[in-house]
Amino acid sequence: MISFERRMDSVEFRIHSEAHIVVDDTICRDCSVRGCITACPADLFVPTSDGGILFNYEQCFECGTCYLVCNEEGAISWNYPEGGHGVVFHSS
Amino acid sequence: MNPPTSTDPGCVAACVKWVDLSPETDPTSGLPVPSAHSWGFSEADRSAVEVALRLADDRGTDAVVVCVGPPDAQWALGELAAAGAARAVLVTSGNPGDTRGGASSGETARILADILGPVGLDADTVVCGDISLDRGSGSVPALLAHHLELPQALGLISVDLGDRPRIGGATRDATTTLMGVRRLDGARRERVGIPARAVMSVEGAVAPLRRAPLGRAVEARRRVQRESSPRRPEPVRPARILQWRPPPRSLPAPEGTDAFERVVSLTGALEERTPPRVVELAPPQAAAEILRQLHRWGYLTDAGAAGAEATAAKATGSEPTDPVTAEPRP
Amino acid sequence: MTEHTAERPSSDNDDFDAIVVGAGPAGSAAALELARAGRSVLLIERGPFPGSKNMYGGVIYGRILDTLVPQWWTEAPIQRWVTRRQTMMMTGEQALTVDYRTEAWGRPPYNGATAYRPDFDSWLADKAVEEGATLVCSTTVTGLLTDSGRVVGVSTDRPDGDVRARVVIAADGVNSFLAKEAGLYGEVDPANYTVGVKETIALPRSVIDERFAVRGDHGVDIEIIGCTGDVPGGGFLYTNSDTIAVGLVLSLPALAAGGRRPEELLAELKLHPAIAPLVEGGEVKEYSAHVIPEAGYDMMPELVGDGIVVAGDAAAMCLAAGLWLEGVNFAIGSGAAAGRACHGALRKGDTSAVGLGDYRRRLESSFVLKDHRKLREAPHLVMGELAQQKLPAMACGVAEDMFTVTNPEPKAGLMRIVRRQMRTNGVKLRSVVGDTWRALRAFG
Ligand SMILES: Cc1cc2nc3c(=O)[nH]c(=O)nc-3n(C[C@H](O)[C@H](O)[C@H](O)COP(=O)(O)OP(=O)(O)OC[C@H]3O[C@@H](n4cnc5c(N)ncnc54)[C@H](O)[C@@H]3O)c2cc1C
Ligand code: SF4
Ligand code: SF4
Repeated sequence: MISFERRMDSVEFRIHSEAHIVVDDTICRDCSVRGCITACPADLFVPTSDGGILFNYEQCFECGTCYLVCNEEGAISWNYPEGGHGVVFHSS
Repeated sequence: MNPPTSTDPGCVAACVKWVDLSPETDPTSGLPVPSAHSWGFSEADRSAVEVALRLADDRGTDAVVVCVGPPDAQWALGELAAAGAARAVLVTSGNPGDTRGGASSGETARILADILGPVGLDADTVVCGDISLDRGSGSVPALLAHHLELPQALGLISVDLGDRPRIGGATRDATTTLMGVRRLDGARRERVGIPARAVMSVEGAVAPLRRAPLGRAVEARRRVQRESSPRRPEPVRPARILQWRPPPRSLPAPEGTDAFERVVSLTGALEERTPPRVVELAPPQAAAEILRQLHRWGYLTDAGAAGAEATAAKATGSEPTDPVTAEPRP
Repeated sequence: MTEHTAERPSSDNDDFDAIVVGAGPAGSAAALELARAGRSVLLIERGPFPGSKNMYGGVIYGRILDTLVPQWWTEAPIQRWVTRRQTMMMTGEQALTVDYRTEAWGRPPYNGATAYRPDFDSWLADKAVEEGATLVCSTTVTGLLTDSGRVVGVSTDRPDGDVRARVVIAADGVNSFLAKEAGLYGEVDPANYTVGVKETIALPRSVIDERFAVRGDHGVDIEIIGCTGDVPGGGFLYTNSDTIAVGLVLSLPALAAGGRRPEELLAELKLHPAIAPLVEGGEVKEYSAHVIPEAGYDMMPELVGDGIVVAGDAAAMCLAAGLWLEGVNFAIGSGAAAGRACHGALRKGDTSAVGLGDYRRRLESSFVLKDHRKLREAPHLVMGELAQQKLPAMACGVAEDMFTVTNPEPKAGLMRIVRRQMRTNGVKLRSVVGDTWRALRAFG
């Protein structure tokens, strides 16, 4: 199995300086399900030792999985990145 | 050819190159894969357009974007120019079947000079990206400056426009039109004054290109003017491969009244010197010997040298021994 | 949104007759139809080029293009024509495959073709541009412009980014924030969605030809069930010219609850003895992911509002039910219908929900809603436990018992084997009969 880094290296991301998805991890602390951690195909939700969530937006597929599975209102504010930025597929 | 003429003489031109931004190789064969969607303009070129737009704004003239490249570049060039350029000119090589551009640096610079020169757009200032991504050398702006007989300020990492918001980190002084900062070797920087008429090249971080307003973006694809290159690319001569030699370095002229004295002073042949001594020792003794030598030359105090000797002795479990002096090897 | 609002008085301040949001297959088909009818249309795409944001399994059923782009097969960017289609049921180390091949699918008018979406979507958008549509890329639509409840345009993330038109077609894909903003969706239930992950794996063309026993531009389509562990879903494997696409479709709530990550499950599929030899030695060229509206007919929103129609995945018109993984054809079909309906409404001068009502009628009488209505039950059946785990295990078990030679024991009769397998896999005759009956009704 290839490493996750190699896997994500195969994808082009035209990264914008501003995050298009923002996670309010004060809300995550009350979340028991934490579905985002296993469901995000880009593995961008990382639990921290103090019960929060560390989120990085850079390698996001803009798929929508996270806001669909998230059960806590307001934890994720989800937008598309500015036009022309974000993931760019070539052979999918 | 009749190069496009300027409606507004003294325009500011940005020159951009259509390149493969993320060249792809076939992982199984290692061969380059032609990819339709990875071509575009580099950050440096986009930055050049932004600098040109701000300069034109500042001077109340037009900005023009020029690209020597293949017909494929047309739409992307239009989108680039939509950020605010009065127009965009695409010069195709005139070679049928040339889909990727492919003029040499010399050829490109000559074509650009024809377009931008006094009989063409008559550009006052030309801004290029510093080095194109496809293993470029940054020579097009230099050659262009030569053809246009303009001064050059290349590899800028910031440009200052005066009372306008500065671009990057440079600040302007009163005497020159424009101030820039250039990267030099050895992590040094140089501040350069740039005259009003000049060729510049800028790095990608100098000024992020502004977004085109929607109306202009919608119009973008219709705005590009297509030119055919007047010249066929010159026949390619096989390059002569020369051995690498260190670049020449200028030294002050040797002192002396006659030739003999000058040769002596140049070579240092008759000067006093201590002949070199070569020693072979185990590392602890070598360290001790180095310290002793430093002491002898006066770089170390007595106490420091003695302490070092003791340490060396402890490390080897023996009294310091005299080094074996070996003959210098031929 | 069915009440009739008065027709808009003036169209002087409209920039275009129509705005289409999203240059996927639905949006480009809509723009193409509108432009061909002589309408001014703006097609807005947020990616740097059409298709840059889009991934899918890999097979396009192109017959729907016959009316839009005659002889499309001579110019569309196709990788391979599918002439061999397999359905594979698997358990941990077993696999039972139904393998169908026909040369007929390898010549015009063809059936399915593999293609890369960045190529295909760009091509289709170019067709719309050739007909006169205006395409603007790198532009994200951020919301609807409304005038007393009626959609009159969109705002975008560019400076001076508002643009107005008499009708807006939301073809913005599965997340369709526009359809949601227009109030056309009810409650959004994650159970109606799956997420697809896939690896595009590079292999030399000759190796693909050999491994999959195909020649020239012919290729294979494999649909797999029973390969996703506890997470309801399915798998697929398609051949392109010099890559293969291997992927999984996974139910969102189960994925979120199950503690298994998508790429782990995908790695397991690639290690399965039936799949490993097919992917061996390949290099991952691109990894990708995208959400699918899985529940089909039952999750569809209202299709029209005042000044707005919804097409393609934005209206959940994707058929993802085990044996089928189709969406591009439905997107093109619904997009084209939306384009024609909008043209009609513009001609009549009534782009209210009532004036646009023709869109739904067109879909009802075409394969788009006919298929979806017919297969309404299919997603629930295919995602149920029986189809996901018990049936694959039982089918493989029956095959194994049938073909394992147990000499000197005499061969067991088929009925005995079936009964034994049903017992070990906990399958009740009643539920099989019931589900088979439901399946016959659902798929028949
Ligand atoms: C894993 C997977 C496998 C699949 N396999 C198949 C298959 O084998 N065969 C098949 O036929 N179908 C398949 N599908 C389904 C198919 O991909 C979709 O049904 C189809 O792409 C829908 O087309 P569309 O035009 O409606 O939406 P999309 O293709 O999603 O296009 C929407 C477009 O809108 C743009 N957009 C979205 N929001 C905005 C905005 N705010 N502003 C501007 N632009 C915006 C997007 O960038 C995108 O280009 C699969 C889907 C998945 C996820
Ligand atoms: S599911 Fe939502 S609330 Fe829970 S951890 Fe993830 S982002 Fe936070
Ligand atoms: S949109 Fe998809 S890829 Fe991006 S963070 Fe959410 S789940 Fe992960």
